[in-house]
Amino acid sequence: MAETVLGFDGVSKRFGGIHALSALSFEVRAGEILGVIGPNGAGKSVMINVASGVYAADEGRIVHRGRDITRLNAHQRGRAGIARTFQNIRLFKRMTVLENVLVADKTHTVRPFGSLLSFGRRREEIAAALAELDRMRLADKADQLAGTLAYGDARRLEIARALAGKPSVLFLDEPAAGMNERETEELLADIRACRSRLDAIVVVEHDMALLRVLSDRLVAMNYGQLLAEGTPDIVLAHPEVVSAYLGTQDG
Amino acid sequence: MIADHIMFTGVNVLLAWSVYVILLSGSVSFANGAFMAIGGYGAGVLTTKFGLPLVAGIPIAALGTAAFGMIIGLPALRTRGIYLILVTTGIAFCVKNAIEAIPYVGGVRGMRGLVGAEPWHVWVVAGVVGLLLWLLSRTPLQRILDAVREDELVARSLGINTVYVKVIAFGTGAALAAVAGGLYAHYMYVINPEHFGILVSVYVVLYVILGGVNNLWGPPLGAAVMTLLPELIRGLQAWRPIVFGVVIVILLLVRPEGLLPFRSPTARAKEARRG
Ligand SMILES: Nc1ncnc2c1ncn2[C@@H]1O[C@H](COP(=O)(O)OP(=O)(O)O)[C@@H](O)[C@H]1O
Ligand SMILES: [Mg+2]
Repeated sequence: MAETVLGFDGVSKRFGGIHALSALSFEVRAGEILGVIGPNGAGKSVMINVASGVYAADEGRIVHRGRDITRLNAHQRGRAGIARTFQNIRLFKRMTVLENVLVADKTHTVRPFGSLLSFGRRREEIAAALAELDRMRLADKADQLAGTLAYGDARRLEIARALAGKPSVLFLDEPAAGMNERETEELLADIRACRSRLDAIVVVEHDMALLRVLSDRLVAMNYGQLLAEGTPDIVLAHPEVVSAYLGTQDG
Repeated sequence: MIADHIMFTGVNVLLAWSVYVILLSGSVSFANGAFMAIGGYGAGVLTTKFGLPLVAGIPIAALGTAAFGMIIGLPALRTRGIYLILVTTGIAFCVKNAIEAIPYVGGVRGMRGLVGAEPWHVWVVAGVVGLLLWLLSRTPLQRILDAVREDELVARSLGINTVYVKVIAFGTGAALAAVAGGLYAHYMYVINPEHFGILVSVYVVLYVILGGVNNLWGPPLGAAVMTLLPELIRGLQAWRPIVFGVVIVILLLVRPEGLLPFRSPTARAKEARRG
């Protein structure tokens, strides 16, 4: 069995009376694309926010490659290799496409004032950022303002920016939302193409068909709780998963 | 008189950049008049009471002001928007009242005997600061500041310690304001707390908004225009606050991003291909 890259161990998160996550436990294994499904409001985005340190867990532990990261704040998680995108795309809209990727360079995010003393690697850094953009088919838009990108391009730029920090685990929050069939197909290929550069990818979606073809394993959530974890066939046939999805039309 | 205009325009250009540096990281400061006061009084104490030369007094006062700015900035910078405006305004009031209560620096009567600063000194300093800001505008640090300003949450997720970045920017802005204050004080010969009231802080923020914060040339342009405009139009001096208000309102309607709204990218794709 593959080693665990990231583990949620009994993680709870409450907002007032709302139990957004309730004793959630699951694991992300080395080399895999893990799909996370669940109806709207299931707690998928909160799970990503707790994993990336936007919210602190009320209970439980999060372990990344054997290290307890539960108490780390958001920028420390970023440095530890937890990267993410946002359900409502969040680009630096007034910066160029190229700058959105350049700004994620770990050399500078970790030592922001170090760049004042070293001018050396400028051309290499720009070339690396362009290569990152090229993988997401955005290189020809490098000097455009990020705020002017079409929806699908903006989604892929967000992924390129997350990858530019050479993360260990990448969380994608509904990357295919709002995309048509052809764009979704292309996105699947793009996500598959970057899996070898990461320890693991976690894709949150409520589109079951998409996750069935993309994921090695699936986690199903509802009401902040784990419903099932396993291969797509087993999870999607699970009675509780079926009933959770029959209950909500738009998933 | 001409010397006065050259001097005060230079001081205001420096002050505008001191606010700009803080705004770069997404914070706003209505305390820069207070930092100017600490720099002016601090350098004044060092030159008149300890006999230090001005070239030593101003840097020492600036470092002290930077430390002060960072210490109060650390808790203040966790807040944003309206709260940060309130906190920095509070600092401006406290510093002025504190100076008025200290007999050692002359209290409300002020401090005398401050000499040694010439208008060209201020413009040399402004030239150096402008050059440094221009160099900054091409570095990864500029991008990081832009990112922190645009979306702090995303910046953090990329591994940027946004509180650290904002505190350093705040301290740097405080130090710049202190340098302006030290030069101003040693040009004036006599200073009193009224020179550094809350309106000074407010005016400087308005210079910067007027000029625009998307590039480093907007703030000094705004400062120069608003310092000289009332002087150029005879009889307008007494109407200064109203001129200010009217110009700001018109400008925000016509050019909401300031007089110079453009932003130059920190890097371009073609740079990677150059031999
Ligand atoms: N910041 C917050 N404050 C209060 N409630 C929140 C917050 N974020 C999420 N929630 C609640 O937590 C639950 C899970 O939300 P979310 O994780 O966004 O669902 P989804 O699975 O659709 O991504 C919802 O009931 C939502 O209203
Ligand atoms: Mg969600």
